[in-house]
Amino acid sequence: MTTKHGNSVKAAVAVRKEIIITGFGGQGIVLAGQIVGKAAGLRDRKQSTLTQSYGPEARGGACSAQVIISDQAIHYPYVRKPDILICMSQGGFEKYGGLLGENSILIVDQDLVNPPEARCAAFFSIPATRLAEEMGRKMMANIVMLGFFTAVAGAISTEAARQTVTESVPKGTEELNLAAFNKGYDYGAAVLKGRQKKAEGKKGAL
Amino acid sequence: MTFTRDFDETSRGMDELKIVLFVCNWGPHAALQTLQDQDRDIPHQVRMIRIPCTGRISKTLLFKAFERGADGVALIGCTPGTCRYGAGTYTAERNVEGARGILDLLGLGKDRLRLATFLPEEASPLLDFLNDFTDQVRGMGKSPVTPVPLKQPAHDGRRNTAEVLKAHDVYACQDCGKCSSACPMALSGRPYSPRAIANSIIAGSGNTPAVVNDVWSCLTCGICYDRCPSAVDFPAFIREMRCVQKASGKSGHEAHEGFFQSLMRAMTSPDLRTQHWKCLPEGIRTDQQSKTLFFGGCAPYFDEFFRRHLDVHTSDILADSLRLLNFFDVTPALLPGERCCGHDLLWSGDRENFLRLARLNVEAIEKMGIEEVVTACPECYRSFARDYPENGVPVNFRVTHIFDLAEKEIDKGAVGFEALDRSLTFQDPCRLSRMEGRADLPRKLIDRLRVKGFREMQDRGVSALCCGNCAWTGCDGYTKALQVKRLRQARATGSDLLVTACPKCQIHLRCAMEDPLLGKEIGMDLMDLTSVIARTIRWE
Repeated sequence: MTTKHGNSVKAAVAVRKEIIITGFGGQGIVLAGQIVGKAAGLRDRKQSTLTQSYGPEARGGACSAQVIISDQAIHYPYVRKPDILICMSQGGFEKYGGLLGENSILIVDQDLVNPPEARCAAFFSIPATRLAEEMGRKMMANIVMLGFFTAVAGAISTEAARQTVTESVPKGTEELNLAAFNKGYDYGAAVLKGRQKKAEGKKGAL
Repeated sequence: MTFTRDFDETSRGMDELKIVLFVCNWGPHAALQTLQDQDRDIPHQVRMIRIPCTGRISKTLLFKAFERGADGVALIGCTPGTCRYGAGTYTAERNVEGARGILDLLGLGKDRLRLATFLPEEASPLLDFLNDFTDQVRGMGKSPVTPVPLKQPAHDGRRNTAEVLKAHDVYACQDCGKCSSACPMALSGRPYSPRAIANSIIAGSGNTPAVVNDVWSCLTCGICYDRCPSAVDFPAFIREMRCVQKASGKSGHEAHEGFFQSLMRAMTSPDLRTQHWKCLPEGIRTDQQSKTLFFGGCAPYFDEFFRRHLDVHTSDILADSLRLLNFFDVTPALLPGERCCGHDLLWSGDRENFLRLARLNVEAIEKMGIEEVVTACPECYRSFARDYPENGVPVNFRVTHIFDLAEKEIDKGAVGFEALDRSLTFQDPCRLSRMEGRADLPRKLIDRLRVKGFREMQDRGVSALCCGNCAWTGCDGYTKALQVKRLRQARATGSDLLVTACPKCQIHLRCAMEDPLLGKEIGMDLMDLTSVIARTIRWE
C-alpha cells in the first residue's frame, strides 16, 4: 500500500480471532465465553460477539460458546473456522475438532480430552480440572482454563482478562477465581517458556 | 618468644608493616641466630615467634595472625627430610596451602603467607628470603583487615543475666522436663538438661563452671522450644547467655581452634574485598543490574578449609542454586566482596561483630538497589529474615529461601524431573525446618522428584535430630555420638542418598563418617536438595 505522499506503509490487516469453547454443561463454558468477549470488548476496546449453543446444557450435555474478536465491525457472529478451539470435554472435541485449520490453535483439558492427531498450528494442554480440584474448587476449572488461554493464545490482554474475571464471578469469590486464573496463566507462561527453552536446545538447569 | 629487634609499638608508625615470622626452633632458628650474632640487617618489620615445629602451626594459628593485624606471615621450617619430628614440614606445606587458599578467597592475597625451609648453615639465604618477603608484602601494601576487640563491651542494653531471663520469660519454666526428655544432647548420653540449666541460672548459679560449660554445649537446635508447654525460647535464651558470658570473658570450646570465628571477625573490616565468587563455573548467568541478589554464604571457605580432610564440595550448592535460578530465568546479581552473614558470631556470643557484619552486608546490598535476596543456606536465610531486624539492623528487601522460589516456579507447571535411580532420605536443617516451621517445604519438593523411593528417618520434621553442631562450638565426643546416631537412622531407612539442606549438615555428618571403626557402617552419599533439583529438573 502506498500513501498519497508516496510512503509505503504496511497494509491494515484486520485482526480477527474466532474462538470456540466447548465442554459439558455446568463447566462454566458460557461464562468463560462471556468473560473472553467482555474482556475484548469492554477492556481491550475491540469488537466482540458471543453466541452460545442451545442444548441441554443445564443437564450436563454438550455445550459451546462461540466468541469472535475483531478490531473492525463483526457482521456475522457465528464461527466458521475457529482460530482457537478450547475443549474441556471429549465430546466437544469430537463435535468441533473437524473445523480446525492449519493455522488454528487447539487447547484441551489434558485429563478430559484425548485428541487424535489434530490438524492445527499449535496444540496446548493443561490439567485445568485437576488444578482446580487441587485448589479446592473443581467448578473453577473454566477460570483456570481461561488463564491458560490468555497466556498462550494472546487473544485478549492479561489485565483485561483479570479485571473481567473479577467483575463476572459471584461476589465473595473474586479472590479465589483470580487465584484460579493466575494458576492457569502461570501454567501457560511456563509452557511457553519451556517450549522456547527446548527450541533453544536447553532442557535442564545443567 | 624472642624478638629480632625492638618491637616497641610506640616507635612504629600505624602504617608500618607487621610481618610475623613463625620460626621452627631447630634448623632455621640456628640460621636466624647466626644473623643476629653477626648483627646482620634483618628487616625491622619482622617479628619472630619461636615454635617447636612448623607442623604445630595450624591453618587457624596462621590465620589468627592476619585476624590480629599481620600484613604478612612466614612459616619457617626445616628442609624436608630434616624435620626432627618426622612429618612437620609436610604438615606445614599442607596447612600453608590451605591457609593461602583462604587468604585468596578473602581478598588478602595468598602471597601474604609463605612457607620457607632452611638448614642451620643457611643464614644468608634466610636473610635474602626475609628481605624478599618484606619487599613482596610492601608491594601488596597494608592488609585491609582491621583487628576488632576480642572482648565484648560489658553492657549494651541487654547484657546481664537478669535482663536476659526477663526478656525470654525463663521464669515461666514449669520444670516439667519435656525439654530435657527431647534434648538430643541429653539423649546422646551427656549429663545435660535444659531445664536444669534454666533453673541454675534463675537461682543465680550461672557462673559455675558446669553451667557455663553447658551453656556452650547447647546445640540451639530448638527441639526443647518445640516441646515446651510454656513456650520458653531456650535457644534464644542460650544465645543471649552466651553474649553475657562472652562479655565477662567466658567462652566455650570453639571448634577448629576458633578458625571460623576468626574468619568472621576478619570479615568485619570495611575495606576487605573478598574474592568470594572468583571460582564460579562457566555458563552461569548473573547481572549486576538485577534487583534480585543471590547471597551464597561461606561454602567456598568451608571447602577450602576442609579440602584435605573431608573433601567437601559445598560450593556446588551455590553453583547449582545459580543454575536453578537461571533455569527459571532469574539472572541474579552477586554481592562483590560478599561477607559472612554473621550467624555463627551471633550464636557464639559475639553480637558486636555480628552487628558489624550485618550492617556492612545490608549497606552493601541496599546500595545495589536490591529488592529481593535469595539464599540457599538456612542460616543466611534466618540471619537476614529474622536476626538482623531483631537486633536493630532492618532490611529493606525481601528475603527468600531458594526452596520457596523453586516450589513457586515448579508449581506453575510445565516442569518435570528426570528419573534419579536413588532412594532418598532427608536431614532437616534446624534453622529452616524447626525454627522457621517450614519442614513441609523441602518435602513438597522431594515429592516432586522422580526417585526410586523416599523414606523418612525415625526422627524427622520438627522432631528431627540436629546434625550435631552449631556455630562451630562444642564439638566433642557426645556430638559425635549424636551424628553417628543420626547416620544410623539414615541407613536404617534403606536409602542410598542422604539429602541435606544446609552445608554444615553435610560437613558435620561427613566428619562423623570419617570414623575409622564405624565408617562402613554409617557411610552414605550426601547431596544437597538444591543440587538434586538442579541436576534433574527439566522443561516438559
